[in-house]
Amino acid sequence: MTLEIIKPGLETSVQDWPGRYGFWNQGFPPSGPMDSWSFRLANLLVGNVVGAPALECQYIGPTLRFGAETVFAVTGADMLPTLDGAPVPLWQSVTAQPGQVLAMSFAKLGARAYLALAGGIDVEPWLGSRATFHKAGIGGVGGHALKPGQQVPLGVPAATAKAGLIVEEAARPVISTDRRWEIEVVAGPNDDWIDGEGHARFLSADWKLSGKSDRTGFRLDGPDWTFTEKALHKAPEHGSLPSNIIDQGYPLGAINLAGQTPIILVNDGPSMGGFINPYTVPQAAFWKLGQSKPGETYRFKAVSVAESQAMARSLAALCTDASILGSIV
Amino acid sequence: MIYPEPRYLPGGDRYMLVEFGNEMNLELNFMAQGLAAAILEARIAGVIETAPCFASMLVHYEPEIISFDDLRAELSRLVAGLGPSDALELESRLFYLPAVYLDPWTRACVEDYQAKIAPKTADWDYMVELNGLRDTDDFVRVHSGTEYWVASLGFWPGLPFMMALDPRAKMTAPKYNPPRTWTPGGAIGLGGASTAIYPEQLPGGYQIFARTPVPIWDRAQRFAAFAGSICLFRPGDRVRFVPCSVEEFETIEREVADGTYQYNMVGYGKFSVALYKAWTASLGARRTS
Repeated sequence: MTLEIIKPGLETSVQDWPGRYGFWNQGFPPSGPMDSWSFRLANLLVGNVVGAPALECQYIGPTLRFGAETVFAVTGADMLPTLDGAPVPLWQSVTAQPGQVLAMSFAKLGARAYLALAGGIDVEPWLGSRATFHKAGIGGVGGHALKPGQQVPLGVPAATAKAGLIVEEAARPVISTDRRWEIEVVAGPNDDWIDGEGHARFLSADWKLSGKSDRTGFRLDGPDWTFTEKALHKAPEHGSLPSNIIDQGYPLGAINLAGQTPIILVNDGPSMGGFINPYTVPQAAFWKLGQSKPGETYRFKAVSVAESQAMARSLAALCTDASILGSIV
Repeated sequence: MIYPEPRYLPGGDRYMLVEFGNEMNLELNFMAQGLAAAILEARIAGVIETAPCFASMLVHYEPEIISFDDLRAELSRLVAGLGPSDALELESRLFYLPAVYLDPWTRACVEDYQAKIAPKTADWDYMVELNGLRDTDDFVRVHSGTEYWVASLGFWPGLPFMMALDPRAKMTAPKYNPPRTWTPGGAIGLGGASTAIYPEQLPGGYQIFARTPVPIWDRAQRFAAFAGSICLFRPGDRVRFVPCSVEEFETIEREVADGTYQYNMVGYGKFSVALYKAWTASLGARRTS
């Protein structure tokens, strides 16, 4: 069973969740879906485990032909999917017949759509994961985003896979329609390098997501930062800029201050480097990053470690079969 | 300084940064590597992975299995049990890497940055100026005249963060501001007091001044020196740069391309922290701190 890629879209890649864990100390990022909420629900709709390999479609979705009868589901951004020209509902499992063509276009709402296929995508794992880290050419199909003409092999579907399952409304992420997002952040690890005014400015300013953003980092445009004595007077091995620090491990989601430009380190980001991280975006807020487009505006809201962990717990509770409604009529 | 007690700092909902001090010295890296090894041995439920670096270590944990406070308590117990680093003897391979210093490729990259992004003193002249050296020849002698300690891998798969083992060769430099958008693959650079090799063409912030033709990561597993890993180096390895000519570089590049290149690695040595400390103490070395 295969999918034939007719048009790959802008950047369509195989991802699994939580991705390539265990190799951060060699510099391998986890990769995986930017919006793991929509991703997990897509897999549940087609009878897969939540983390099974599926496709992430960025900004513009692919056009592809099914080689066999296949149960699939599309979640996340609305790329106006059609099956042989007929609209396909999001958040619902659908059966495609052999030869049918699924076409997706530009994201009308959100930025990343997820296409899960019953049985998942059957490519070789790399360091334990099928997630694509395409900047380094590993994982997925040949290490890169999909290309025209490729045949993507599918796995064996669960016996329970069927059309007509639907994610209940309350369990779906609500994608911003006014191009503004409130993103939770936890202070640290290097919050004591920023002075009081710098913190107040960060939490009250509008930050615009720059076009120079990708799966390694989301660059933000906004006001300048100000620093504490610790950042201004330090040993030369830190480097001379206030935001320079002796190279250190970076948390995924770190708001990494390169000079005066904050960059949120996301799924394919660097594991280490010599800039401070005054704040970290917790995992449960990543879906908002994944569904925002360049030019949109972020406001950051400080939460505690415990609050950010409670958010992850609530999200995990939504990403279960309890959110999937049975056959609809 | 080395902190009397490490600092345990949160990184969102599932990371903790353990900071041992705020300077670059080998002792701190031994603590970070030692704690990473102790965590592996203790098999703490809920710890997913660690990433030790020069003076700190990042821990990735699953908060549904272990809370931040419990993790901090576990780690502080392990830190207390680490014992003096003098007792450490580490397996340490030594790699000799050919490198063209003041090479045409990093030169072209620096010129491109100067023309398109920001004016700056050429990196090798800047290194001479910042570190009180006579000229670029002196810089090349100093930089290639020491073994480097691979303190950690990160930033990009297989990229080594290294420290000069000979304190007389310790140099410092600020990082680029703004960072470079590209760096030639194989470029050798220095930022803060750390030396790194760029595994492939990547953005970067270190001052660059040399290039090696030898791959330090190998997706296709073509070279025996990688011993089954994608990355050439492991923390605790040592590296020595052997200055070579552009012609030698090109010869080696061809050998790499056809798979016949033999890595120059010696694997019989152990690294004794006690002997190393005794040696550095005997130098009465110049130190910048």
